[in-house]
Amino acid sequence: MTLRSRLAGLAICAAGCFTPLVALSHAALIEAETAQAIRLHAFYDTGEPMAHAQVIIYAPDDPSSPWGQGVTDRDGWFEFIPDATEGRWSVQVRQSGHGAMAHVQMGGDAPVIITASGTQSWLQRMVMVALVAWGALGTALFVLRKKGRSDASA
Amino acid sequence: MMKSLIGAACLTLAPLSLSAGSLTLFASGEDLATEGFNAPKLTKDGWALAFTRITATFDQITAWQTDPPFMADGAEITGTALPFDGPFTVDLVDADEDDLVELTTIAAPAGHFNALSWALVPGDDGFSLAFEGIARKDGQEVAFSLRSADSVAHACGEYLGDVRKGFVTENAAADLEITLHLDHLFGRADKAEDDEMNLEAIGFEPFAAGGEFDLSLEGLHLGHVGEGHCYDFAL
Repeated sequence: MTLRSRLAGLAICAAGCFTPLVALSHAALIEAETAQAIRLHAFYDTGEPMAHAQVIIYAPDDPSSPWGQGVTDRDGWFEFIPDATEGRWSVQVRQSGHGAMAHVQMGGDAPVIITASGTQSWLQRMVMVALVAWGALGTALFVLRKKGRSDASA
Repeated sequence: MMKSLIGAACLTLAPLSLSAGSLTLFASGEDLATEGFNAPKLTKDGWALAFTRITATFDQITAWQTDPPFMADGAEITGTALPFDGPFTVDLVDADEDDLVELTTIAAPAGHFNALSWALVPGDDGFSLAFEGIARKDGQEVAFSLRSADSVAHACGEYLGDVRKGFVTENAAADLEITLHLDHLFGRADKAEDDEMNLEAIGFEPFAAGGEFDLSLEGLHLGHVGEGHCYDFAL
């Protein structure tokens, strides 16, 4: 049993085993972990962000089917955490009839980032920059106890 | 300039095995070709356009498997090439329900064709792109014929659209699309006046007298692959 599951078990016990049913303690569990994320910034070279643009993510093991999708924020940012699949992750961003694709090669020593940054004309001023935020793999578990009015254990 | 494209470091595919899949090439002027410019999608200067014919001639077409992916940032594509025979002259108004006109289908090896090069070239009538139709605005009705003899090469990256295209598997078909964005020529009334597309587009007002006009494609960048971009240059 891992430390996380042991702690979770203790928390459940604390919440359910040692307190009267009529006065549940409202144990709240928060799991926090660090992970590597791909962060994209989609914008035009005029500086205008691609706000609320459609994002479609393709994983290396099934590059013809969407792995996930979303929408950029009002500043053109979008973040996602890929799974452990190594290979080329591709992210498509589309807005108002135009789109661009960025690729991030995951695995090995470091990510390799390929972005669209054409500059020939106004049509190609859609620029995407992919950034990868690396975090040490690890997991921490925090058990918080919310003190309520009916918390008999307090 | 075209020599640099043709001369790109490439490996033309060997004769294909019987187990190869196929790659179908389509052309499209999207709904603006088949349905015309109708409110609110009028031209940037407020004209409604109904096309009776949009003739385009495509040649020098090659599908590419590129790694790293070609990002449409120059004329030269490096990768494995699959050339198509040509030229193909098509009417983009006479399209299917998805606004597509099929050019051809050829056998293709498995892999992802993530780049496409092609050129608009003059056809038998001497024009690479020709528009015929009726324009209407404020009770006026004008018959027009706009014709261009320009030759424009395009080096395009991956097709972008609702689905990701170009994945050929053994005994399975895939397709690619040459797309002409007509709003880059005529502009769009439903876009802001200072939208860069509208600033660059000609609109219809210069042709409002009706009749035949010669058209320059320089700087219009009509050519795309779906919503994906191309690097284009005059031949």
